[in-house]
Amino acid sequence: MTNPISIKGPDREEVIKVWNDQIDMKVKVAGNGPALVYFHPAAGLYWDEFLDRLSESYTVYAPEMPGTSFGDPYAIHKVDTYWDLLLIYQEVISKLGIENAVAIGQSMGGMVACDMAAHYTDMFSNLVCLDPVGLWRDDAPIMTADLYSAPPEKVPGFLFKDPSIPAAQAMFSLPTNPEEIPAHVGHVVWTLGCTGKFLWPFPDQGLGKRLHRVKTKTLVIWGKDDALVPVVYAEEFGKQIANSQVEIIDNCGHIPQMEQLDQTFGLVQGFLAA
Amino acid sequence: MKVLSFQQMPYRNLPSDFAQKHNSVVDTPYNELVKASEMHEYHVNFLDEMMHAARSGFDGLATTEHGQAAYDILPNPNLQMAALAYSTQVEKLDVAICNVGRSLGKSKEALRIAEEYAVLDQISGGRLIAGFPVALSFDANQNNGVPPIETRARFAENRDLIEKAWSSKEVFAFNGKFNKHPYVNIWPRPAQERPPVWAPAIGNPVTMGNIIDADDAFLYLSWFGPKLTGQRIFDRYWDMVEERGKERNPNRLSFVQCVAVGETDEEAHRLYKPHVEAAFRNGLGSIPIQGLGLPGYMDIKGVEHIVKDPGDFGLVMKMRDIKYEELVDSQACIVGGPETVKEQLIELAKNFGIGNMVLMVQHGSMSHELTMKNITLLAEKVVPDLKKIWADEDWDHNWWPTGVAS
Repeated sequence: MTNPISIKGPDREEVIKVWNDQIDMKVKVAGNGPALVYFHPAAGLYWDEFLDRLSESYTVYAPEMPGTSFGDPYAIHKVDTYWDLLLIYQEVISKLGIENAVAIGQSMGGMVACDMAAHYTDMFSNLVCLDPVGLWRDDAPIMTADLYSAPPEKVPGFLFKDPSIPAAQAMFSLPTNPEEIPAHVGHVVWTLGCTGKFLWPFPDQGLGKRLHRVKTKTLVIWGKDDALVPVVYAEEFGKQIANSQVEIIDNCGHIPQMEQLDQTFGLVQGFLAA
Repeated sequence: MKVLSFQQMPYRNLPSDFAQKHNSVVDTPYNELVKASEMHEYHVNFLDEMMHAARSGFDGLATTEHGQAAYDILPNPNLQMAALAYSTQVEKLDVAICNVGRSLGKSKEALRIAEEYAVLDQISGGRLIAGFPVALSFDANQNNGVPPIETRARFAENRDLIEKAWSSKEVFAFNGKFNKHPYVNIWPRPAQERPPVWAPAIGNPVTMGNIIDADDAFLYLSWFGPKLTGQRIFDRYWDMVEERGKERNPNRLSFVQCVAVGETDEEAHRLYKPHVEAAFRNGLGSIPIQGLGLPGYMDIKGVEHIVKDPGDFGLVMKMRDIKYEELVDSQACIVGGPETVKEQLIELAKNFGIGNMVLMVQHGSMSHELTMKNITLLAEKVVPDLKKIWADEDWDHNWWPTGVAS
């Protein structure tokens, strides 16, 4: 069966030397227009139709967190703390010469984007968070530890309300050439290991203490049926970021830009145009 | 050859459908499964059985560390080892106190381990063998909250701190990534000049390389079935020993082997079959496979290697409903009358160059009485001949305790 998903992907890759030249940060780039920085989730950068569509109106810059770039796994060992990570992202954005960009972050990327906006309060023009992690309520546990401990067949159920949709199937597909499978699996597993450095055992690096510093105009989008990060957190982000609006999407799990692409893209487009 | 008696501490009265209903680690429901009187009894049984082995002629007593586990209820085995160190001292039993683990990739308090081991060495008069495993992923990461990708870095730093804490003549400051101590000056230091170190591992070349470079003894385990994994792991080990210019001294290699001995082969199979089968199904078999390697715990090259060739893991993937016959055929457990068991152990030791045989004598639901019988038969009819292996070769044993330093 041919998969109906067709993804154009990035136009090019830039390599930015950061952290006293110890890390080669790979940044995937596509499109033309105003700058937009995309912060990827724990599974690493997966270029999807949402990024394709954004690149029709923006220059999309998608940095890959150290360690998650194919062929350069040990860069993660140069990043000891979450604070290091934020400084590294700041350095990348600065060296790319990007100013006043739109920031979009998904899940872990949403936490990073919020923290960047909390630390560098004038860095972004607009901020969009898609089901971000970063807060913690004992009455609404975030299931990242369960996701990391889950057998592969259970993973899609954490991320999608309906894991059978073509976009989800495409994301989880293995390379067709069997010889490429070991390296692919190694990369996927290692990427989760790298991002896990800042998410384990809880995706809580104290963002809740800093969210009040975010003055960037912010859109928070949440899948109502998110099985990984409960939708109650949408309200928390909305409450704690002064200049924010919250949108809940029905029939949607943790990745709204894949599971309800049209609606999500429409909300983002409307927000950025306003 | 040195022969040690080894036990984990499983809960011995698990329901027959345990493996279908539960995992053996992390989320096993304590209150649903445990009777208070039994849990107490098993703790005392464990120590009684260890003392029986010490009195019966074994060269050492060995155990491991696992937290939040129904198959090995030893969150800190140094507590049991302290009792055994004192009891054997009082009875003048010259047995090694071999703690195969406190797990250094798990520990957030490495200096405490340096101190505990030093105390054990003092109580036992220098009979400690210090085990330094990395820790299984479920224990370090799920139970103790260590980010998986930091497990090995934490192991390395903790090891470094312990070595310095034992050996330094001066008070020193230790400013590590995970350990911050302005003054390190532990009291006591070990009674031996330096306790021998045994490092358990499952054959990962990176881990084995580090073990050889540190001149530790490598300890491998039979649980995955040595007929399936032994040749490849031991060949890899000895090749690496030679590549690194070290001596092929069998004493640098220790091996944990499950054994169950009856008066005859027939009796052994009849007595032990249900216990051995349940032990593997309810123990190792009920650790979810992800619990052995959360993302980041294993180096990316290791993950690629396992996807290409899962052979190092032997029986692991089918352990949850493993058949007794497969366990016996693969030698995951050697079961039989004394001659059968002895023959197989001697063959293993000679083929693979094993200098220290660590015999696991209790399995799953085995009762106290049956465990005592197993220990007695081993001590009387198997161990004496095992001790003679390598006797005609003149190898130094640099991995055996020396007693109190002069």
